[in-house]
Amino acid sequence: MNKKRFFKTHRKAILKLSNGQSFKGRLIGADTSVSGEMVFNTGMLGYTEAMTDPSYLGQILVFSFCLIGNYGIPAFQDGDFFMSLGHESAGIKTQGIIVSDIFDGAYHHDGTQKLEDWMCSQNVPGITGIDTRKLVQIIRESGTLFGKIVPEGNPKETPDKFEFLSNFKKDEYVNPSKSLLLPSVSVKKPQVISKGRKKIAVVDCGVKWNILRMLSDRNCAVELVPWDWDFSKINADAWLISNGPGDPKNTADLSDRVKKYIITQNKPILGICLGHQILSLAAGAKTIKLNHGHRSHNQPVFSLPDKRAFMTSQNHRYAVERSSIPKDFRLWFENANDGSVEGIRHKTKPFLSVQFHPEASSGPNDTAWIMDEFINSI
Amino acid sequence: MPIFNFLRPKNGKKQKVILLGSGALSIGQAGEFDYSGSQAVKALCEEGLEVIIINPNIASVQTNHGKNKKVYLYPVTPFWVEKIIKIERPAAIISGFGGQTALNCVIALEKSGVLKKHNVKVLGTQINALELSEDRELFAEKMRSIGVPTAKSYAVSTTKDALEMAEKIGYPVITRSAYALGGLGSGLAKTHGELLALTSSALMSCPQVLIEKSLHGWKEIEYEVMRDKSGNTITICNMENLDPMGIHTGDSIVVAPCQTINNTENNMLRDTALKIAGAVGIVGECNVQYALNPHDYSFYVIEINARLSRSSALASKATGYPIAYIAAKVVIGFDLLELKNPVTLTTSAFYEPSLDYVTLKVPRWDLTKFSGVSKKLGTQMKSVGEVMAIGRNFCEALQKAFRMVGENDLGILSPVFERVSDPELANELSSPTNLRLFAVYESFRRGKTLKWVYDKTKIDYWFLEHIFTLAGGENELYDFFKGKARSFKKLSKEILLEYKSKGFSDFQLANIFLDYPKDNARIRKTALEIRKFRTSLGVVPYVKQIDTTSSEYPTKSNYLYLSYDAVSHDVSANKNKPVITLGSGSYRIGSSCEFDWCSVMASSYFKNNGTGSVIINCNPETVSTDYSASDRLYFEELSTERVLDIVEIENPKGVVCSMGGQNPNNLIPDLSAAGVKILGHSAKSVQDAEDREKFSSLLDSLGIDQPLWTSARNRAEINAFVKKVGFPVLIRPSFVLSGTLMNVATDEENLNYYLSLVKDISSDCPVVISQFILDAKEIECDGVAKNGEVIASFVSEHIENAGVHSGDATLVFPAQKIYAHTYNTVKDITRKIAKGLNLNGPFNIQFIAKENDVKVIECNARASRSFPFVSKVAGLNLAELASKVINGENVKKVSLDESEIPFTGVKASQFSFTRLDGADPVTGVEMASTGEVGCLGKTFNHAMLLAMEATQIKKPLKGILLSTGREKEKIKFMDAAKEVFSMGIPVYATKGSSEYLAKHGYIPQTLHWHRNPTALDAIKNGNIDFVININKNLTIEELTNNSQIRKTAVKCACSLFTNLEKTMAYLKAYSSYDELENIEDCIYF
Repeated sequence: MNKKRFFKTHRKAILKLSNGQSFKGRLIGADTSVSGEMVFNTGMLGYTEAMTDPSYLGQILVFSFCLIGNYGIPAFQDGDFFMSLGHESAGIKTQGIIVSDIFDGAYHHDGTQKLEDWMCSQNVPGITGIDTRKLVQIIRESGTLFGKIVPEGNPKETPDKFEFLSNFKKDEYVNPSKSLLLPSVSVKKPQVISKGRKKIAVVDCGVKWNILRMLSDRNCAVELVPWDWDFSKINADAWLISNGPGDPKNTADLSDRVKKYIITQNKPILGICLGHQILSLAAGAKTIKLNHGHRSHNQPVFSLPDKRAFMTSQNHRYAVERSSIPKDFRLWFENANDGSVEGIRHKTKPFLSVQFHPEASSGPNDTAWIMDEFINSI
Repeated sequence: MPIFNFLRPKNGKKQKVILLGSGALSIGQAGEFDYSGSQAVKALCEEGLEVIIINPNIASVQTNHGKNKKVYLYPVTPFWVEKIIKIERPAAIISGFGGQTALNCVIALEKSGVLKKHNVKVLGTQINALELSEDRELFAEKMRSIGVPTAKSYAVSTTKDALEMAEKIGYPVITRSAYALGGLGSGLAKTHGELLALTSSALMSCPQVLIEKSLHGWKEIEYEVMRDKSGNTITICNMENLDPMGIHTGDSIVVAPCQTINNTENNMLRDTALKIAGAVGIVGECNVQYALNPHDYSFYVIEINARLSRSSALASKATGYPIAYIAAKVVIGFDLLELKNPVTLTTSAFYEPSLDYVTLKVPRWDLTKFSGVSKKLGTQMKSVGEVMAIGRNFCEALQKAFRMVGENDLGILSPVFERVSDPELANELSSPTNLRLFAVYESFRRGKTLKWVYDKTKIDYWFLEHIFTLAGGENELYDFFKGKARSFKKLSKEILLEYKSKGFSDFQLANIFLDYPKDNARIRKTALEIRKFRTSLGVVPYVKQIDTTSSEYPTKSNYLYLSYDAVSHDVSANKNKPVITLGSGSYRIGSSCEFDWCSVMASSYFKNNGTGSVIINCNPETVSTDYSASDRLYFEELSTERVLDIVEIENPKGVVCSMGGQNPNNLIPDLSAAGVKILGHSAKSVQDAEDREKFSSLLDSLGIDQPLWTSARNRAEINAFVKKVGFPVLIRPSFVLSGTLMNVATDEENLNYYLSLVKDISSDCPVVISQFILDAKEIECDGVAKNGEVIASFVSEHIENAGVHSGDATLVFPAQKIYAHTYNTVKDITRKIAKGLNLNGPFNIQFIAKENDVKVIECNARASRSFPFVSKVAGLNLAELASKVINGENVKKVSLDESEIPFTGVKASQFSFTRLDGADPVTGVEMASTGEVGCLGKTFNHAMLLAMEATQIKKPLKGILLSTGREKEKIKFMDAAKEVFSMGIPVYATKGSSEYLAKHGYIPQTLHWHRNPTALDAIKNGNIDFVININKNLTIEELTNNSQIRKTAVKCACSLFTNLEKTMAYLKAYSSYDELENIEDCIYF
């Protein structure tokens, strides 16, 4: 008989929220305390992709789906983004995770490590046994909420994982949008990713690796460019401004430099998520903060004027204000639920900009064709 | 305007649309189509269409009277549909909501040019696409053209080709037949011999069989897809079978959403599903089934169903997204973007639901009801119903599901394999039956490893690990109690919560605590004490909503479940005291959609009159679990514990247990003892009706006659009784449901055999033995009483003599052939019993009558199977009337003269013997039918012919085989001999029958048992398509003697009659066929 399988032996942990509420649960992953902005994702699969998505930097991610860890974690091939399917960057980017029930096993042919072991190895904590549905409702109603994962007893003191964390005091709730996040997720110097016929410069604001995979799959020479690099020194056939964390307005002079050095090149541009917001700001649009943002795999969008509908994967808090779309651009995609702007494109030039993730991973691939359209416009 | 031009009103007149139903419930095609059809009706009527429903399933909600709706209770066949097209002149026809039956019918109508001729458009997926999806070879070719892998498969039409192809593919192979539902004629063959057997039987009933590579052990995964006319496509839900490939998905335990696949696999399969829907040209709904390799990313498409299906009903209930409702809007022209998600009312219907819970479907089999049928599961579906459980973790859902589906409160903890040896257990795992998961559980209880079980079952480790956890938890708790804890109060809040969160019921905990006693009453008592204890600690479940969005948007969803993995309720307690109606649970033999109809009538009534309506049910195939049927739907267990939980949350006026059949009725004693107010009949009335002793002495005191009976506690008492009344006698073990182990013993040997089947005879479990009266008529009275006064009652008669279970019998209403005196006696006795039991709600009383001598067999103090039938024929809704009484309203006595009803109704049973290999297709005291139809006629003959046609009794075209029973039956049969011999087709008879007929001047061709020409060969060769095979008597020998003829007849899709009275009624009605078919108008309401 196998004893001690049933009673949970995990240590207790508390999730403290900035509104004064708290939730009791059990600690998973690393024995350390972290703080971050509370966000939820309603996608039912893709926890590896989400946790490694740099856009979640500084956030504690709540999975609304009740069973997380079911298929383990796929093997990570050090430095080889192409081989590490499922991983969207090198390592976990979320501060921590909150789940209802974590699966203690790894039986999938492509997921040989347990979620919890992976978290331990990356020094990331989490809490299981939380009524995540209730928590999602609290986050939804609060607008902005911060949280702290506090293990029972004396958790280990650990050095800051990311640069921006040094801006926060020990007992302070980490509010990532207060900081400049891009240095924590962008490459430090240009990096050639792949060889190919068309050269694409990717402004790295915390790019998801699947963007790189899709470009190189389509025979592109991809070069990663640091967010603060001198863009005028880069010679490329087209530009892609990547996704990334935080408030588009809190990106130093990035949008100005995009305006000055990239837009003026008149080469094809594709903006994705944060990149879309930056491109829009550069083109003269304004951005607004949504109540709790879109973080899911089932955001319905439709294109204009042909009204084709697509299921999209999204992860953002900010959006382009509809009334501020510059005259030489037009509304390209709209969210079918809340009418928010999901994409704009230039009326004459090959400038494409989408709020959602055509690279998906995780989520549906319905809008992968945008990558083709972008590359074909070169 | 989103709706198509040709469907808009013309000159102020609404356009008509025909909606085809699926007919009687049968294995493979059950209640899910009542649900999808009723949603479609709602969706279509909202858009200003007049809906013409053709469906003989009288017990369905979709065939209710309604505004902007006409109901034709006719067989869903090209002949009758064409006739109704001529009468109604509809603009369009919809086939996607009536299962395979409707789909086949519309394909036939298109092929024969009928639709074109009458300018009727097919809505939704077009015929060429339907054919593409149905013809496996065309489909495979299409898939190849779009680069979607299908398993290597070859269509064959001879056994020789089949063997050749199998050689090419390599054994094991799977066979499937084209144009069939529920996997009819399918199977796994590991050798030449097995393949020969499979294909030769499959090719008898269909022209084409597919031979495929076997994908045994692969994951089986399904996607529900919706696509609009503009090509916008979504997948509503994906589902994964716990049982790997090899077991029909209808017989598989299914989890939604998928649990063991990752994001890459999900999107690979989802992308493919969208691609397929586009390539085939789906408009509306379809599902796509895959086999996914558990070891890499390879997969095959197995098939698609270009219509609503069992899976789509399940997906609707699993996600809250009303697939059929939206699909109906889509087929009349809406784009998904033009529709709102009916759950949120604010977000788009172009949406893929996100779940924050897990659902588990578990099938319900009733294989013990069919003698001779194999319990092994394979590619041919055998289950008759299903339940769905919802939990915030997998263990919670699994525990709920296994309690919901069985009759055993222990659920997955049931000691089914307790006494089985390890090798036997291993065998059970590797060669699955309907009990496999109990074997998995037992293995872990014994401490077997995950690998030990995986190697035998190929069930994914993820599932096994959870079951392992449960079994470990049970063992651990047992040790805890065994060791230090003499009192369950030693359990900490934390530990209790852990067990409750993993789905352990109070009953299960009590059972472990008490060291597994046999005494259920003791366990129940302790369970209530545990409940009290844990409630005092604050260990209670919370209400959560199913809202399609995982709470991303606020919704007012009234679709609810309970979970212990929660800290707060999603909804607050009702201000008004609502009425809680208990549904019927899983469909099973003896409890099917008729009880759902009753539940829906009650819950809608309480909703519409403002009382406030809460329903509890756990069957995903039903209309009652459509969240629009009540103010609040709890998709939950029908157990004392759960009902008490909900009562505590809802604070209701009371609970209705009398509308959902025997299942909720059984909860009355416990609920009432726990202080729950039972509405309608008092708990005492129900008890007095159910307890044989009490009921019998009541009858005696009222001077009402009953067949002699005794409750015997041992063999001596049985012998004494038999000596007194003589054979035959009816044996009925305690606690029977739809006649399990009920048998008629005709002699001593017979009696011994049947008693040997009843394992336990004691004072706790006595056997009821009663006198069995031969050649008696059976009569039923359905009605409603208020405070002991009968408000309404309807008398119907059985065509078959007593001895055929009332659920299998053919009913006629209004009764045609009973004496006025008998009728009056029945009414009189009904009044007396209602008074004597002080009935206050719906009831059904069964009588037997011989000459004018009327005896009472039993009284059910609840709504009965025949409620929808008599209600619809009489045009008076008994269930609604009963609801008023239950609600304490004043109701007037109904004065409806049955003799003035302008037509006759015949209710006939649908059997599913074609799916149950090895079962003897014969009716007896044990119920075997899976569904029913009810048809109306201007005369009895018309109604009879329609009802038979609607239950697949086809007109004989090739040849008739007669085997007419004993001398007595042979004599009686002579009345119909002329009919048979004037049909103008060859008549065959077995030796005895042939000689008897010859003596009376009718010369059939004689067939033999062993000598050529044999009866079996004649059936197999297709010379015979209509078989009349009357049992000589009810001895085992006789029943098994002719069973080969009957089995072969069923296998070869012959029409089969086994009951003399039913045969005679049919043959006598047969001469009216021309008249019926040439009639210009059809009956509708």
